[in-house]
Amino acid sequence: MASIARSSLLRQVASARPAFQQQNVIANAARATAFHTTARRDLLPPLPQHVEGTVNDAAPVPETSPSHGSYHWTFDRLVAGSLIPLTVVPFAAGSLNPTLDAFLCATILIHSHTGFQNIIIDYLPKYRTPRARKIFMWGLNAATAVVGLALYEFETTDVGITETIKRVWTA
Amino acid sequence: MIAQRAGTTALRRVAGKPNAFFTANVAKLGLAQSLSTTQIRPVATQKLTPADGAALLAKQRLQRPVSPHLDVYDKQQTWFGGSIWMRITGSAFSGSLYVFATAYLAAPLLGWHLESASLAASFGALPFAAKGALKFLAAWPFAFHALNGVRHLVFDMTYGIKRQTLIKSGWYVWGASMVGGLYLAFFL
Amino acid sequence: MAALRSSTARLLGAASRPVLRAPAAPAAVRGMAQVTDGQQQNLAASADQAKLKTFQIYRWNPDTPTEKPRMQSYTLDLNKTGPMVLDALIRIKNEIDPTLTFRRSCREGICGSCAMNINGTNTLACLCRIPAEDNAEMKVYPLPHTYVVKDLVPDLTQFYKQYKSIKPYLQRDTPAEDGKEYRQSKADRKKLDGLYECILCACCSTSCPSYWWNSEEYLGPAILLQSYRWLVDSRDEKTAQRKDALNNSMSLYRCHTILNCTRTCPKGLNPGLAIAEIKRDMAFSG
Repeated sequence: MASIARSSLLRQVASARPAFQQQNVIANAARATAFHTTARRDLLPPLPQHVEGTVNDAAPVPETSPSHGSYHWTFDRLVAGSLIPLTVVPFAAGSLNPTLDAFLCATILIHSHTGFQNIIIDYLPKYRTPRARKIFMWGLNAATAVVGLALYEFETTDVGITETIKRVWTA
Repeated sequence: MIAQRAGTTALRRVAGKPNAFFTANVAKLGLAQSLSTTQIRPVATQKLTPADGAALLAKQRLQRPVSPHLDVYDKQQTWFGGSIWMRITGSAFSGSLYVFATAYLAAPLLGWHLESASLAASFGALPFAAKGALKFLAAWPFAFHALNGVRHLVFDMTYGIKRQTLIKSGWYVWGASMVGGLYLAFFL
Repeated sequence: MAALRSSTARLLGAASRPVLRAPAAPAAVRGMAQVTDGQQQNLAASADQAKLKTFQIYRWNPDTPTEKPRMQSYTLDLNKTGPMVLDALIRIKNEIDPTLTFRRSCREGICGSCAMNINGTNTLACLCRIPAEDNAEMKVYPLPHTYVVKDLVPDLTQFYKQYKSIKPYLQRDTPAEDGKEYRQSKADRKKLDGLYECILCACCSTSCPSYWWNSEEYLGPAILLQSYRWLVDSRDEKTAQRKDALNNSMSLYRCHTILNCTRTCPKGLNPGLAIAEIKRDMAFSG
């Protein structure tokens, strides 16, 4: 290990190239980083490695915020859990309760919203794509507001989501 | 490594007077040449300050490739894992809900008819095979998302997280969602 | 061992070897058998029974950084190779290609150095048996989605920095009651079983898609398992602070119970369960 590192290090020191050539090397390296077993390109190729601080510094610990952490997680599970009876009951009982239907709509909307949020957080990391992250998050908020309005319209002027699915399914 | 070290210590004992540049001067000693147990590499050591070393390391890091992941990892765990299909089916449903709801809101302006009555009528006009296929296309993801959702909620309650159990429950969900999807599509 | 053996041979000198060897009975030679001896015997005895196995190994050399990583194949006769993948790698390095680079140390699954991706799953090369039943190719890659230092050597700097960030040591303010040691009931000690055995080989963390995409902020299964090890330790008094450090959207909650970690752990531990237990314990705590 050590000897390998040393020899490559020396070689790099020995070949003290001009700045523009170094640039070239780095650009080439970036191109070479994709491992091709297929011709598919990564959607979000990882950045070249950069380490903050020395190897002996601990990774930074984020600020505590239960509303994004434990509360959020618990709320998510409760919403997901309550969807089980909410989807089963109206079809099993065959009854049409507008309140229940509205409640189902709201729960699905929240579930979808947090689900999309999770996807954005996973695939558009803040340190990697800060602008896209912001745009998508606000886009999602706007979309959810629009969908909320539309669902309100649908629930109040039409027959409700449960009955619609039932009618389409048995059509 | 060990051989080299053993060789140098032996030589050092013979030479009797070791100094800091001993190993560098070994080649000049006739003794060493006749024994020829030490490997001599024509490499000069170069001292770097810690700052220079760190800069060099930082530069080397920039050139490192990322090892392959999705391409090489066990396909059963990545591409057929319950988790990614949970996400795919979920976003398919939520995505279509978002698209439908937005279209419904815009329908009066665009002159579309997306009321429940017209939807049911247009769906009812389709041939049986198309109806069944469309229904299954909606019913399977629904069954999968629901069943695997329950599986994940059970995981979150710390049950069923054992290697054999979770592999089995994963396959059960695939099977049950197929059966459930077929039932919902053709027998309901 | 190999180095020592060759050095003794060198010390004895080339001239003395035939003299030593010729009169010696085979039994006497056995103790200092050379690899070549075994090879010649085997070649003579079973040239047609060679059990060939091809290993496809990921190669990348930092000295030529512009060259793309490639797969290089090596064919070994399993009759002359030890049973584990690490034995094969060592044999390749000793006999076929000395430039092949990988980490190894204990060869018994306790150091965690030889963690790599073998035939699609992360495991320790020293604990992974070469399937001798068939002659399918074996594929060996470095740990997935890590920066490669050379060949099969990944850079685990971030992994260790994250380990440091969870303060993996006992934190206490109150002194021990008897002034000697911090005592623990048998039941409390039992809670640490399945947690303290982790050797931090990074197999689980690098099997986790969430960690692939978010290793900058998500701690990953190995570090969270260690986190839980200190959270459940009855002697530790900073449990609340430890929980607070995890209570944000990234550190812990990027786990979506994919559970590749539990499926891959070469030590048979259960990082997925540890994470689920942290989440459950934190569910209603601010």
